[in-house]
Amino acid sequence: MPAALDAIARELADADRQERIEMLIDFAKNLPPLPDRLVPLKDATHRVEECQSPVYLFVEVDGGKVDLHADAPIEAPTVRGFVSLLVEGLAGATVEEVLAVPNDLIDRLGLPEILGMLRVNGLNGVLRRVKAHTARAAAAGAEAARP
Amino acid sequence: MPSEYVHPEVLVSAEWVLEHLKDPSVRIVESDEDVLLYDMAHIAGAVKIDWQGDLQDQLVRDYIDAAKFSDLCARAGIAPDTTVVFYGDKSNWWACYAFWTFKLFGHADCRILNGGRKYWEDHKFPMTTEKPSYPRANYAVKSSDEASIRAFRDDVMTHVKARKPLIDVRSSKEFTGEKLHMEDYPQEGALRGGHIPGAKSVPWSRAAADDGTFKSADALKAIYEAEIGLKPSDDVIAYCRIGERSSHTWFVLTYLLGYANVRNYDGSWTEWGNLVRAPIEKGA
Repeated sequence: MPAALDAIARELADADRQERIEMLIDFAKNLPPLPDRLVPLKDATHRVEECQSPVYLFVEVDGGKVDLHADAPIEAPTVRGFVSLLVEGLAGATVEEVLAVPNDLIDRLGLPEILGMLRVNGLNGVLRRVKAHTARAAAAGAEAARP
Repeated sequence: MPSEYVHPEVLVSAEWVLEHLKDPSVRIVESDEDVLLYDMAHIAGAVKIDWQGDLQDQLVRDYIDAAKFSDLCARAGIAPDTTVVFYGDKSNWWACYAFWTFKLFGHADCRILNGGRKYWEDHKFPMTTEKPSYPRANYAVKSSDEASIRAFRDDVMTHVKARKPLIDVRSSKEFTGEKLHMEDYPQEGALRGGHIPGAKSVPWSRAAADDGTFKSADALKAIYEAEIGLKPSDDVIAYCRIGERSSHTWFVLTYLLGYANVRNYDGSWTEWGNLVRAPIEKGA
C-alpha cells in the first residue's frame, strides 16, 4: 500500500469505534472541492453506480502517477469520508501502487465494525471503480505514447 | 372537507419536539441510513439507535431478543411509559423501521417526527454534537405485537394462495424484475428478480412529500385506495428488499390511514428471491 494510505489504515486500525467514526467524519469534512474544470463532467460515466448518493470519481494518470478527485454530498458523510480518505491516501501514488491496494481494504480499515456489512457494499464499489479507472487511464496513456 | 389521519397522535411536528426537548417523559431517537450523521450533529438530547448495529441480531437473521431490547432501552433511559419520538434521514424511512421494531417489542408510545432530519435541518432548528447520558431506566418487555405486525414467509405463501392484498414497495424496476436491487443501491443478494405473485407495486416514496413529511390523508387515499383498491378492513402484507422501506408503508397504512391488519414481511425480496420453488411473477 502507498505509505500515506498505510498510515491512515494503521491509525484507523488502532482507533476505537468512536474514534473511527470521528476520523471518518473529519475526512468527510475535509474532502477538497473538485477543480473547476471537472465540475461540468459530473455525469453518468463518472458516477459510482453502487452508491445510493451521487458520488463522482475522476481518475487521471500523468507520468505514471495517479491523480484522484472525487465529489459526494455532505448529507452522505460515510461515502464522502471514504472517498476523501482515498484521495488523501492515494495522493502521489503510482499506477502500480493503486492497482495493488488490497481489495479487502475496507475490512482492514475496520469500517464494517462501525458501518455494518450492508453499508460497506457501496464503499467496495468505490474502491473497485478507482482501480478499474486507473487501469483504463493507464492503458489509454500507454496507447497514446506508442510511436 | 379534507380528511384527517386516523391516528394523528403518532406524528409530532418539529415545533412540538422543540418544546419537549427537556421533557423527561419524552426520548428522541435518531435512526439513519448513514450511520455517521448522528455524530456530525443531532437534536439536543437525542440518542442514536442503529437498525443494523443495535436492533438486528448479529448472528441469526432476526431482531435482538427481548432481554437485549430491554437493555438497549434501559441504557437509553427509556422506560415502558416513555414517549419515544423517532426521526432520521431519507424521509424517515429508517425511523419508521426503528418504530416498527419498537412495536415488535410492544413499546406503547412511539411517534415519528414528521419531516425527519431533513425538515429539521432545512428549517434551521438547533442541533448539537453533544451526546446525552441518561440514568438507567427499568425496562422489561411484557408483551409482543409480533404476530400482528410481522409476516414470515409461510404467512406470505398462505396470503398468496388466499389472493389477499400484497404491496410491493420497491422501485418499479425491481418489481418488474429488470433489476435485482434498488437503482443506485448495492445488490443485497437475491438470485431471482420479479415480485411475489399478485403483489401490487406502490414504491414507498410515493407516500412522502418533497420536504420529507408524509402526504395528506386525501393524497394517501388517492394512491392506496382509489388507485390500488385497498380497503381499511383488508388484511395487507407489505414487503421490499429487507423490510426497511416497507416499514414506512406499514406506518402509513396502519397509523395515517388506520388499517387494523397490516404486517411487514421483513424477509422480503432477499428471502423470497432466494427461496427454492417460491412462485414469482415478472413484468409490470
